[in-house]
Amino acid sequence: MGGDRAPGEIVAGALQAVETLGVEVLLFGREDAITSLLPNGTTPVGVTVIGCSEVIEMTDDPARSIRSKKDASVVRCAEAVRDGAADAMVGAGNTGATMGSALLRMGRIKGVSRPAVAVPIPVPFSHPHLLVDAGATVDASPEWLVQFALMGRAFSSLRFGVENPMVGLLSNGEEPGKGDDLRKKTFDLLNGQPWFAGNAEGRDFMTGHPEVLVTDGFTGNVALKAMEAALKAAAGLVFTVLGSTEETRKAADVVTGPLLQAVTDYLDPDTFGGAALLGVDGVCIISHGSSSSRAIVNACSLATDCVTGNLVALMKETIQNAG
Amino acid sequence: MPAETHTTREPISPEEVFAIVKANLCEILEVAEDLILRESRFVEDLDADSLALIELVEALEEDFGERTVGFSVDDEDISDMKTVGDAVDYVIARLGSAAA
Repeated sequence: MGGDRAPGEIVAGALQAVETLGVEVLLFGREDAITSLLPNGTTPVGVTVIGCSEVIEMTDDPARSIRSKKDASVVRCAEAVRDGAADAMVGAGNTGATMGSALLRMGRIKGVSRPAVAVPIPVPFSHPHLLVDAGATVDASPEWLVQFALMGRAFSSLRFGVENPMVGLLSNGEEPGKGDDLRKKTFDLLNGQPWFAGNAEGRDFMTGHPEVLVTDGFTGNVALKAMEAALKAAAGLVFTVLGSTEETRKAADVVTGPLLQAVTDYLDPDTFGGAALLGVDGVCIISHGSSSSRAIVNACSLATDCVTGNLVALMKETIQNAG
Repeated sequence: MPAETHTTREPISPEEVFAIVKANLCEILEVAEDLILRESRFVEDLDADSLALIELVEALEEDFGERTVGFSVDDEDISDMKTVGDAVDYVIARLGSAAA
């Protein structure tokens, strides 16, 4: 059980998920720390605590740690999915360790070269669009990006009901010749597909078009963090201005509260709960390191939807059909 | 000979070990078999990342563990495996010590 706000927020979120979603939750982590957070120190119906003695720290090398810390919660959790004891895993700890545990313990779907993280990007007044990959595969090949596009399209349809999602290749210009070697080669491979919208730029974020933005994990992670920071700075600026004078404070009384709260809620990463790891042979949701209890509830909801929507079967079919 | 360390099949040749290492690498890295040579470097020549190397190690433990009970790769030895040949030699040495 990892995360900046673990175990408190994680346990609180898990308990809420049991109540509100009707799911059963297995909590992997230090047993005494978890138990002390349960109501009256007793385990409620629908909750099982699995004691784990080791922790993969944020500073640990993810790949090595998965082997050397076999009793770490993230490793045990992935094994539970592999062994059928759980239907899905949700992790808010070391992202590399979560991804690596899922990859090494659940395995890769046959034909998938590398997994990819599909992060929903909020789009005002519309369903979110997807950024694939947001950090799983830092060094990618053009062929892998094509697979990310295929998996992203399938997930966009499953998760948001988008019919025939269009895919854009994130680059530094919309013209076909723009980008580095990876972008140019990927463009050539995707070009001609009826669902390929060509190159997309950073300015296409949050516009909803195209519905899926494909890139390598390095670029995707940098773009995601930059967008989050920009949104946070913009929101901070608005609130600073609103609180700067007596007049603006009066105006703020009108627009804050439910109106502005709805906007901030929508832009808050906790609203989506987490990102699905596509390409592994099981459902794995990677949550933000700073996840609140609300994020964990929403991550459990996303995990449930992925299980009931047969995400893994859909990914297998998608890759198989791609030949 | 204790049951947990005995070999269950005929001794395996270096060529067979190389073939098994190569087959696993082909699947994990999705590269053509003829690109994998004994002297191929995992990172520089085959673009293997740390997770891919761990995938290889675990696949080898599974494959050779079926032949020789107790076969395993020590974590601290993984960083010494720079080339395909290093991995093949390591497996051969470990198979020998596990069978001894």
